[in-house]
Amino acid sequence: MKKTYYGEFGGQYVAESLMNTLEELDRAFEEAIADPKFWEEYDYYMKQYVGRETPLYLAERLSEKYGTKIYLKREDLNHTGAHKINNVIGQILLARRMGKKKVICETGAGQHGVATATGAALFGMECTVYMGSEDIERQHLNVMRMELLGARVVSVTSGSNTLKDATNEAIRIWAKEAEDTFYIIGSAVGPYPYPKMVKEFQKVISIEAKKQFLEAEGRLPDVVMACVGGGSNSIGMFADFIEESGVELIGVEAAGMGIETGKHASAMALGRPGTLHGMRSFLLQDENGNVQLAHSISAGLDYPGVGPEHAYLKETGRAIYTSITDDEAMEALSEISKLEGIIPAIESAHALAYAFKKAKTMTKDQAIIVCLSGRGDKDMHTVESYFSGNGYLN
Amino acid sequence: MKENRIEKRLAQCREQNKKAFITYMTAGLPDMEMTAKIIKAQEEAGTDIIELGVPFSDPVADGPVIQNASYRSILNGTNLNKIFCMVEKLREDGCEQPMLFMMYYNTVLYYGVDAFARKCAEVGIDGLIIPDLPYEEQEELQEALSAVEDAPILIQLVSPVSGKRIPMLLENARGFVYCVSSMGVTGQNADFHRNVIQYLQSVKDVSKIPVMMGFGIREARDVEPMKDIIDGCIVGSHFIDLMEKSGYDLTAIRDYVSTFKRELNQ
Repeated sequence: MKKTYYGEFGGQYVAESLMNTLEELDRAFEEAIADPKFWEEYDYYMKQYVGRETPLYLAERLSEKYGTKIYLKREDLNHTGAHKINNVIGQILLARRMGKKKVICETGAGQHGVATATGAALFGMECTVYMGSEDIERQHLNVMRMELLGARVVSVTSGSNTLKDATNEAIRIWAKEAEDTFYIIGSAVGPYPYPKMVKEFQKVISIEAKKQFLEAEGRLPDVVMACVGGGSNSIGMFADFIEESGVELIGVEAAGMGIETGKHASAMALGRPGTLHGMRSFLLQDENGNVQLAHSISAGLDYPGVGPEHAYLKETGRAIYTSITDDEAMEALSEISKLEGIIPAIESAHALAYAFKKAKTMTKDQAIIVCLSGRGDKDMHTVESYFSGNGYLN
Repeated sequence: MKENRIEKRLAQCREQNKKAFITYMTAGLPDMEMTAKIIKAQEEAGTDIIELGVPFSDPVADGPVIQNASYRSILNGTNLNKIFCMVEKLREDGCEQPMLFMMYYNTVLYYGVDAFARKCAEVGIDGLIIPDLPYEEQEELQEALSAVEDAPILIQLVSPVSGKRIPMLLENARGFVYCVSSMGVTGQNADFHRNVIQYLQSVKDVSKIPVMMGFGIREARDVEPMKDIIDGCIVGSHFIDLMEKSGYDLTAIRDYVSTFKRELNQ
């Protein structure tokens, strides 16, 4: 197996002009993660700035209702409200180490953009965020946040004017300005070494969770679960459990209005292998091999592809991927709000919704860890619109 | 085995001591019938090689002009099968214009790599330019191509920062070397890389095959400073703009091609 691949997935499907850049990045990344000083710095900011470690919380009322122990890994309690910041801090520290002065990123709903703008502010770097013009309109508050944090938000009008097009545009700019610019990819996607890098910086989720669960229960969990868009919180949640063959790993994609309607974001269910954004992985495509628009009430899962390591985990059978519809996710969001006093991000509500289904097949003594990847504050507009029956904005 | 049309034409250019002129056009614009007519008009006017753009939803190596052209062509219903049919028909009508596909790798994967190689040979496609398929990822496609008689040549792209990679890229390269003139995407108005002359010379020094320069070229005078180094050049975004603005007027297209070719060889 080539170093850049996960089975038949991954690789570096980029322009010749980026090949040296990727090699330089890979070298710098491998050096950094072999350097204890790099991790010291990362740990420092994780603790003092992000607020780690995050709790592994036993959701008692949910557990009681569904008849198995449900633990929540509280990534929603991180600074900026989601797991995204773990990766951003890691990549910005690497960018600084490489002497880059500017960072760029893509964003869909704006969460990765806000996290990147935050990291850039923290380290005094110039930050440009590429965002589809459709998304800019839908996510006005996040645009304001990014601008307040000192970032420049560039409106992308090309193709469908959404995340996939913003990513294309960020890659175009990167190809042009790679000399002094670092591209911070927000999910476990893109050309190698990005999928590996994102996993490395999100791994902290499962390292903590494993230790915390061991302290609480004296053993390993039976099931570990997370939602999957591009797959960054899920690869972080799986990472330290992949070698533990007794732990069942479940990734939950967005089924949107239902897989059968064609309006969904489940690349694993109906996608076929293809190349997009520098990687080879499962991809939603139309009958001509053009990339299809994904659809989900949750902007963070609204992506037509999936990270290559997830594709590999599916092919090898190590992880199972399933999906949850918009309606199921919103019901779970409502339920955990009322039963636990936690309003989750709609993305995370997908994982919860499946956890409730899964719990019914488990016993009282078994346990699930669900990655609660983010908090729901950003989604209030969508929630309001959904529950008032006006359809929704994403 | 037939002689490859690209290699044949470039050998002729060399014998006649002429620079080659290559154009890019998105297939299916304004429609497939006109695409065939534009190809014929260019053949008459003296375009040496035509790059036929196969539209893709995510053209990450292209600037706004080709992105938009691609998007419009997809909305017109253009797909690879229809393009194959159009090329097949042109060849049946006796068109010997050297033609290559400029496309993204996903379109090849979706069609099936082996079937794609066979179909290209069958209809008479002479070359392939796939900007998101760097040297390290080419094995699968090269294998499929080598199993087919009269298969198209996979053209190698070189960038201003390829540096140490150049010998590797050129080692088995055939047809011509595509030198990308700038960093980034197509259509950046003669905004060439600051070391463009030095870079082109370094490729020319080691290349056994013709060296073509592309990206950002509009008129023959844009390549005046590097004319003594390169063996020809490629015009894409500007050509698309010109066709669009003239309402795909065949006379305007012929005039542009013949003027460019003349000036390039003055």
